[in-house]
Amino acid sequence: MNTPLDIDGCAQEPIRIPGGVQPHGVLLALSPADLSLLQASGNVASLLTLKPGVAKAEHLHDFVGGDHLSADLMEWLERGEGAFLRTSDMGGRVLQVLGHRNAQGAILEFEDPPASERETFEALYPSLRVFMDEIAPSDDVDVIAGSAARLARELTGFNRVMIYRFDPDWHGVVIAEDGDGVLPSYLDLRFPASDIPAQARELYRLNRLRLIPDANYTPAALEPVMSPVDGQPLDLSFAALRSVSPIHLQYMRNMGTLASMSISILVDGKLWGLISCHNAEPKRVNAQVRAVCDFLGQIVSLQIGARERAAFAAERIELKRVETRLLAELARSGNYREGLVAHPADWLELAGASGAAVIADGEIKVAGVVPPIEHLGRLAVWLQNHKVDELFASDFLAEHWPDAEMLADTAAGVLAISISQIHASYIVWFRPEVVRTVTWGGDPRKKAATPLQPLSPRASFETWKEQVRLRSDPWREAEIETARDFRNAIVSFVLKRAEEKAELTEALQRTNKELESFSYSVSHDLRAPFRHIVGFSELLGERATNLDDKSRHYLDSIKEAALSAGRLVDDLLNFSHMGRTSLTLTRVDMDKLVREVRYSLAPDAEGRQIEWDIQRLPSAWGDGAMLRQVLTNLIDNAVKYTRDAQPAKITITGEERARDTLYRISDNGVGFDMAYVDKLFGVFQRLHRVEDFEGTGIGLALSKRVIDRHGGDIFAEGTLGGGAAFTFVLPKR
Amino acid sequence: MSDLRPILLVEDNPKDLELTLAALAKCQLANEIVVARDGAEALDYIHQRGVHANREPGDPSVVLLDLKLPKIDGLEVLERIKSDATLRQVPVVMLTSSREEKDLVRSYALGVNAFVVKPVDFNRFFDAIQDLGMFWAILNEPPPRGSHVS
Repeated sequence: MNTPLDIDGCAQEPIRIPGGVQPHGVLLALSPADLSLLQASGNVASLLTLKPGVAKAEHLHDFVGGDHLSADLMEWLERGEGAFLRTSDMGGRVLQVLGHRNAQGAILEFEDPPASERETFEALYPSLRVFMDEIAPSDDVDVIAGSAARLARELTGFNRVMIYRFDPDWHGVVIAEDGDGVLPSYLDLRFPASDIPAQARELYRLNRLRLIPDANYTPAALEPVMSPVDGQPLDLSFAALRSVSPIHLQYMRNMGTLASMSISILVDGKLWGLISCHNAEPKRVNAQVRAVCDFLGQIVSLQIGARERAAFAAERIELKRVETRLLAELARSGNYREGLVAHPADWLELAGASGAAVIADGEIKVAGVVPPIEHLGRLAVWLQNHKVDELFASDFLAEHWPDAEMLADTAAGVLAISISQIHASYIVWFRPEVVRTVTWGGDPRKKAATPLQPLSPRASFETWKEQVRLRSDPWREAEIETARDFRNAIVSFVLKRAEEKAELTEALQRTNKELESFSYSVSHDLRAPFRHIVGFSELLGERATNLDDKSRHYLDSIKEAALSAGRLVDDLLNFSHMGRTSLTLTRVDMDKLVREVRYSLAPDAEGRQIEWDIQRLPSAWGDGAMLRQVLTNLIDNAVKYTRDAQPAKITITGEERARDTLYRISDNGVGFDMAYVDKLFGVFQRLHRVEDFEGTGIGLALSKRVIDRHGGDIFAEGTLGGGAAFTFVLPKR
Repeated sequence: MSDLRPILLVEDNPKDLELTLAALAKCQLANEIVVARDGAEALDYIHQRGVHANREPGDPSVVLLDLKLPKIDGLEVLERIKSDATLRQVPVVMLTSSREEKDLVRSYALGVNAFVVKPVDFNRFFDAIQDLGMFWAILNEPPPRGSHVS
């Protein structure tokens, strides 16, 4: 049994087309073309009398004597203006005439003004003037409401006038009241939304003023019931005399008020509240006073609207200042998440929150008081499932997400903005539960209509206290708007970063392409001349059999220089290749590989005494050709740098470990100073003079690149003059 | 052994040409060495047309083909030879300065018989040319013209 069902029940009542009017006036529906009679309320004879000699009313003329009403009406209809209001002498009786038009005709309403109230608009004006002076200096909506309640009561003489304000859920709170003590005070009480169903609220919006002079009236039915224009019931939305729902009349009687009048307060076209007047006894208010009350309602509407807008703007400016400051910091920090965490005060102040979190890219960062991290992840999932792709704000999260009940002490209310269209990425602000006691003007849990228990107005107006739980302070409009702005800024910030990244990637790809074509052309155009120099030097050396030693030395130098330059190019190409070519991973027999490498290096070790200690090696998972390159470089180095050792010792060991396989090549050569260990694997980094040890300085860089590409690791240990050890590990399959 | 048929050397770079000829000379092969300076000329020779319209008939014993050539490059010459059923049996050795894997892969895909990256070291270059020349020009028994290997 909940409230929404209840509203539905009431909302189905056809309150716009009740088929009758309140009997304190008479309603006529006329043809706008010639004022011939279409429909009339059954009580027509109570106010209007037929002219002598007329048997049956068929035309407005049948009622009207010497007055100019018909002519004025025709003029009004021709001008097509909205409302018609005048006092008219109808056959010796002075009546107020209200007119409006709809698709079914011109609707005229005749009322006999109550004898006691014959104020003219001019007489009422000074009261309004005082009211305006009273409220002018105040920014406070409550002050305006208090003055409006006093003035409305002064104008109308009702026992009690309340200013009733709707909250976002359409519950109403009495924010101001003026009364003579005849009726009980309802000040500060809350009335459930079901008291004024959606359909009634819509009529309040369209037709700003309604009067029920006597809740015990018997409606006067329209004759005929259906409009002859379209065969439908007459639409009385804008009729002052419109008969109201019997449920509403019962509601009034239950409340102890036999007369009521309400004036709508509209802010920006939306129903903001009501000036609600009640009287214990039946009471009529003439059309002039009603018009002034309508005017009062409009003044109140404008004043409240202006003040709310001003308050909103002031708050917005203040928050905008925080937002600007924060965004500047974020831009400086480069990463918006780091920036948020680095400026928690501004981050929280942006939405007046006690906690905040950014949940993005599988990372959660927080500030202030927030729910446990694991719940934040689930919140992000919930927000995504809830299709929050822009903004979500609730001061009652548990209402939407029951799991949130347990988080009420930190996150009873959340304000979330989505910062990615694809991922579950959100910035969320939190507010804790604020337990409040709300006093209702009656139990809000009104029963819904059922076949056995038809819809009925509530009978009790006993105050009913409720503890409101699991709710936070509501998110203010300015805070929500600021969060929305902030979202746009963050999204464009993120997008900009992404674009920059894409641009960088593109530039990198371009550079890589250029490098690739560069290395390709190097391989053709730079290698060739070296080859030619070496080739022709060789041919020249063969032909010139009796060169003197100096010339022979020069020739050999040319050949050597070109040869080493050629090797450098080869090594460089090899190195750049290693970064580009794909790996073909297989099981590699490292024992066999080491044997082959040793064999290929045999010429270099010729005539040398080398003690090899090669243990049984576990197989590796990798690219055989590339691993051969690594072993060649490392073993070649060991052979090279042990040149002066007597005897040279080279040890190769392997070890299978939990996650990887380790290989080590150690020697007793010249070693190196550990101070330079970081430089060892750099391209062109040499630790020895070229005349001492030949080489291009790329071998170790190449080896490192190969091991890196395998996802492994390579490192070196050594002492100057005490040998070196190179160790590399390769991940297992 | 059949009669000594010529070796077709396709090389545009005059220095490489000179060095290759020197290397081949050292092998003391009896085969005639025909030089074509670009891909188009090589195809003219193979098809006995253009400047080679009046040459002695018969296929070369081996084609030593540089990969980078003006007009029609080595890969295209290779492709034309290997896609022609009557020429498919002629051995083609690709010579190149390039270590580009894609060239090598493409050459083998087109059916090259051997692929040699010209070494910077002259002696190794010399050895390579010598080995190739010996193998393809002398030791390799060419199939009779018109026969097909399927």
